[in-house]
Amino acid sequence: MRRCIGAPILVACLAFAACSGEARTDPDGAAPTFRAALLTSGPVSDAGWYAGAYDGLMLLRDSMGAQVSHQQTRTPAEFDEAFLSYAADGYDLVFAHGSEYMDAAMRAGEQFPNTTFVVSGGGSFSTNVVPLIFELWEATYLAGMVAGGMSQSGVVGMVGGVAIPPVQGTFRAFEAGARAVDPDIEILEAYTGDWNDVAAAKEATVAQLRRGADVIIHNVDGASFGVFQAVREAVDAGGVAWALGMNGNQNDVVPEVILGSAVIRIADAFRETAVAWQAGEVGGASIYAGSSTDIVDFVINPVLADRIPARLIAAMQEARARVRSGELKVPSVPFVEGEPGAS
Amino acid sequence: MQRWHPIWVAVGALGATAIFAAGSLWLGGFDPLTAAGALVRGSVGSTTALFITMTRAVPLILTGLAVSLAFRAGVWNIGAEGQLYAGAIAAVSVGIAGVGLPALLLVPLVLGAAALAGAAWAALPAFMRVRLGVGEVITTILMNFVGIYLAAYVVSGPLQEARGVFQQTDPIAEAARLPMLGSGTRLHMGFALAIGVAIALWALFRWTRVGFKIRAVGAAPTAARIAGMIPANRVILVSFVASGAIAGLAGGVEVAGVTYALYPNLSPGWGYTAIAVALLAGLHPLAIVGTGLLFGALESGAAAMQREAGIPQAWVSAVVALVILSVLAADQIRRRRADD
Repeated sequence: MRRCIGAPILVACLAFAACSGEARTDPDGAAPTFRAALLTSGPVSDAGWYAGAYDGLMLLRDSMGAQVSHQQTRTPAEFDEAFLSYAADGYDLVFAHGSEYMDAAMRAGEQFPNTTFVVSGGGSFSTNVVPLIFELWEATYLAGMVAGGMSQSGVVGMVGGVAIPPVQGTFRAFEAGARAVDPDIEILEAYTGDWNDVAAAKEATVAQLRRGADVIIHNVDGASFGVFQAVREAVDAGGVAWALGMNGNQNDVVPEVILGSAVIRIADAFRETAVAWQAGEVGGASIYAGSSTDIVDFVINPVLADRIPARLIAAMQEARARVRSGELKVPSVPFVEGEPGAS
Repeated sequence: MQRWHPIWVAVGALGATAIFAAGSLWLGGFDPLTAAGALVRGSVGSTTALFITMTRAVPLILTGLAVSLAFRAGVWNIGAEGQLYAGAIAAVSVGIAGVGLPALLLVPLVLGAAALAGAAWAALPAFMRVRLGVGEVITTILMNFVGIYLAAYVVSGPLQEARGVFQQTDPIAEAARLPMLGSGTRLHMGFALAIGVAIALWALFRWTRVGFKIRAVGAAPTAARIAGMIPANRVILVSFVASGAIAGLAGGVEVAGVTYALYPNLSPGWGYTAIAVALLAGLHPLAIVGTGLLFGALESGAAAMQREAGIPQAWVSAVVALVILSVLAADQIRRRRADD
């Protein structure tokens, strides 16, 4: 006697659905000014890229009165579905926090002209689909200067997730910054192929430390803990090594080894984007967010500030001012379709 | 023989699930009622939700059917995941290369290539089982890794988008995409195809000699061989490869119906969930449509729990796992009672 029990369950679910009816209410009863949603393909507990986006969503709720919602997607098939669900539910502004959402966002933009889709690091745009591009290279240039000045071995390392242009841009700028301080410095570069694989990131970092690197910068998401852990273990074993934080202010994560962080104030960027959107200014072009508006910055870890030579800090601060004013152009890798320099 | 009415089993499963899931959510500081409402609304609460559930069920039904065909023949094909990726890679290759061909020609070509690639992916473990006596559980799992990493390689290597920027392929030709089953939804022809495959397998087992031979070999391979009328090895080989073809088709359907391009993490593990889908349905092809829909509903409801109830994905996954566990437990209890 073998029979499936799925069907009766579905029937029971349907019955329950009919009984439960519409249960959705606003928590405080006030009508929201607009509805904003966030999609991430990783956990918002990474103290970096995704966490910043989630903070941005909360900022829209608390400072602008938006009704907000978040979904973490696992597969590309879920991208279209999430856009569809949000747009069909009447969400006005959907932040998709990663270039992987680009194609699905363009499709959704065509299908739902009344919703605006903002794709972090996206590579193309339309009237209601816009890339939000963080000019993080402006901060990694400064991180490179600190790395070049702090390295005693003359070797520094970079551990990336996937070799996409936004990441390559941050590494090219890091190299330029390190060489500005020490023209003979050797720079190692490795990609693990996964933003959130802690073990792989740790392995890549250990490999670079063994090759003599003593300052390591990363550009991964949840996997950054692996990079920091490897550096801390090297220090615990009696060596001298430093790490640099990325995407968010990670100075507190392992304060004894992180010299400073290349920070994106993602939350502020989301807020500025939402304000511009309310003013009807979002659409048809990329939004660039860099150090001139304080969205991107390099923040020295106060705990270790006295370990960094004052001359190095002064040189870095001087370069920081020149980058902010636009006087110093740091290398980057352009990637938005139809914009100068992009393939 | 005392028979338990399926409705009572369903009620029991739902009750147990509700208690476990609500308890764990409550411990996490979330409102169980809001969560339950979101789960139901997001899976079956509206036409949009129903269509999403059906779309999500397509790869689960197809891989579930693939697994059931192999299991019936006594072949433990754990490799549906790798076969699915092989099918997806082939479908994307043909879908991109076939620009200019009419849809009537290109869609069958794309799906055919996917099935062929899945079959080829299963052929190696099948050959090793039949000729060398190597257990297929290990070989198919290993082939999964090869398939998953091959997909990750081709999207940043030979098949990467022409711009060379992101880790994905170019989109397949418009003519290679499966038609939608309704406007304003994302439900595609693949759903009808999955039902068709289920009916075909059901008919195969019920009415044909091949189906009988597969069941005989699966039940007692030695007896089948000694009886002299069934070449056990050939039956194993054919059902193994056919199972791979259906799993490959699942990958092709997903590419041609949903994503239109290949990404490194196309599947969240459908090839493994498929085993639960197939076993819960008692390996019955038509019942797999039901269990596939059930798992699809859980997935789409889980997404809604994140969106509407603000519960993080890790919690949602844990709750869904609880639901599956209690459904399996209730089903087992029902079977034991039925056997008494």
